[in-house]
Amino acid sequence: MELTDLILAPVVLPLIGASLAFCAKAFHKNDKAWKLESFAAAIGLGLPLLLLVYLFQFVNLGQSIQVSIGRWPGNIGILYRFDGIAWLVSLLGFTVGSAAWVYSQGSGPKGPGFTTTFLIQTASMAAAAMTVDLFNLFVCLEVMGLASYILVASSEKPGAYLASFSYLMISATAMVFFLIGLLGFYKLTGSLSYEGISSVLDSLPQKGGTMATASLALIVAAVAIRVAIMPLYGWLPDAHALAPHSISAVLSGVLIKAPLFALTRLLIVMPGGGDVGRLLSYTGAITALAGVIIALSQKDTKQLLAYHSISQIGYVVCAWGAAIAAGITTPAGIALFSASFLHALYHALFKGLLFLTVGTTTDLAGERNVYKLRNAALSLHKAGEKVPITFLCFLTAAFAITAIPPFNGYASKAALSYTLKGSWQGLFLYAASLGTVASFIKLSRIYLPDKKSISPSTGMNMPLGKIKKTAQFSQLFLALMCIISGIAALPMSRLVLRLLGEVESDSLPPYLFSVENYTKTGLVVLGGILLYFLISTKSGKKVLQLIRNRPKMFHGNFVALSLGMAFLFYWIKLSN
Amino acid sequence: MVERILILILSLIGLWGIVYKKNIIKKIYGLTILNSSVVILFILEGSQIGKNAPIMGKGVRDMVDPVPQALMLTAIVIGVCITALSLAIAFRLYRFTGSFDIDEIREKVSHGTD
Repeated sequence: MELTDLILAPVVLPLIGASLAFCAKAFHKNDKAWKLESFAAAIGLGLPLLLLVYLFQFVNLGQSIQVSIGRWPGNIGILYRFDGIAWLVSLLGFTVGSAAWVYSQGSGPKGPGFTTTFLIQTASMAAAAMTVDLFNLFVCLEVMGLASYILVASSEKPGAYLASFSYLMISATAMVFFLIGLLGFYKLTGSLSYEGISSVLDSLPQKGGTMATASLALIVAAVAIRVAIMPLYGWLPDAHALAPHSISAVLSGVLIKAPLFALTRLLIVMPGGGDVGRLLSYTGAITALAGVIIALSQKDTKQLLAYHSISQIGYVVCAWGAAIAAGITTPAGIALFSASFLHALYHALFKGLLFLTVGTTTDLAGERNVYKLRNAALSLHKAGEKVPITFLCFLTAAFAITAIPPFNGYASKAALSYTLKGSWQGLFLYAASLGTVASFIKLSRIYLPDKKSISPSTGMNMPLGKIKKTAQFSQLFLALMCIISGIAALPMSRLVLRLLGEVESDSLPPYLFSVENYTKTGLVVLGGILLYFLISTKSGKKVLQLIRNRPKMFHGNFVALSLGMAFLFYWIKLSN
Repeated sequence: MVERILILILSLIGLWGIVYKKNIIKKIYGLTILNSSVVILFILEGSQIGKNAPIMGKGVRDMVDPVPQALMLTAIVIGVCITALSLAIAFRLYRFTGSFDIDEIREKVSHGTD
């Protein structure tokens, strides 16, 4: 087997696993079915991880391996490129995916159907990270979407079906516009590969003019729906909040970032890509702040986490867009890009962990309302958790997302503020981190005993089941990853930098663990505590209620999509 | 030009169905119509350069561009999957709420979760 075939394995192995898992339906005996299913998951999730370790030596040398599927010539065939970006995105996907799969074996959903869909989703994620063909990107996004609509609905709650339906409608419509954009590029250039399109566009008068601009706007807006950048976020909160916990972890951790990094390959070669990057950087900063304000107002624990995903993806998009605008081969650009990836990776770890721990807690306590659920630590203890693993893991993740050293969020947020220094976006992100602290104080209170009814005899804290070993295991795994990647932040950031480009640059301050940085963190925490007291006052609560009860309509998504596309079009047009 | 205007009207009908129809089955119809209009648009654009079907054989000349047709085969398959899945979800929603009206469903669902 040649190396060029080997790089297709992260896509092919999960698909093989998916078909094996589907065969497990043939067994009536549960035990045999489960064995085959686990074997399928090992092939689909474990083996690719091992393979990524092996492939590291090639990407570490800065190699980018290109393969045409079915060995068709490059201008007709579908090209896949395996390089630093693909390696990093796949690593992120398979790590969080494996942890989530293990978690779901204990706490559901499980069964051959679930494993099959889950593996197909993972395969499409890996494919989206590698493809350099516009139509193939369309197929990857559609397959990824189809799998995630099913997985969101698999929690079998009526709300989850509605969320899945809204998600399906808006993203299927957006993908139709993606196709129209694709047709525009194909008509202009006769090519579907990114390089083919951009090289022909460069030779055209005015680089393709209005048609090229419109096509780019359509495609970027359609992908932005999947990433849930601010005006296009409407589908996300319900879908992520009502999905099963393991699926929420994957959706928030991985699936909203894969399209973003897939878009990178297109934007860096396309004329006008830099302008799109700059606009997305601005919207990212606004998303980060607005997302956290809405998160602060939520009363459902998982809704709160879902809005935090929007806010955190805003951080990622902000630095990512600035990187594209600066040019990914310049030292400043590569530093921004690696900071953005570092945060995407670390966010996947801690947000996955948050969804799992909070999910475990609310399931066992039988209550999801932040204002009602109290003393959850006791419920967990009664559910058979003698060492408070879930609580400690929750604390790890909460400290990570609020950027407390030495957890990993501290490092990636330091990288973001270091690379975005001096821009107004940096200030927005700073303000957003105050909100993050305040909302996690609010969320952490579910574990604390209530002042009024401190006696546990009220029956409120009777757990609804036993804690699952698999849940504890995957939570511990992610928590360990959060701590290790936080302590080893400097080597990690150098690794990401080296994989993304060969330009000498630095995305982290040289003295990460220094008194100066600790003071900054201390100030943020103090500000957050202050904000928390502010929102606990009567008028604060009223404001939050107004934000929480803002009207939500089905067609709001569509209005946002069309406005977003039009705005994007004029933005690129006027920037030229 | 007439063909293009017809396709535009078709796609606007689809979009209108998705956004403004209250009945979720009609929304799904809208999505299918929108999808089909793009398929037709691709085929139309591909047929600009020739007349004959792109099947390789002796003496076949003046072929249409085969790439858009190949792409649309894939897009149609995906469209069928999406229609099937959305109908399945619509059925489940009907079983839970006894209604196809999106506002009514939203109301009943949010009462259920609070």
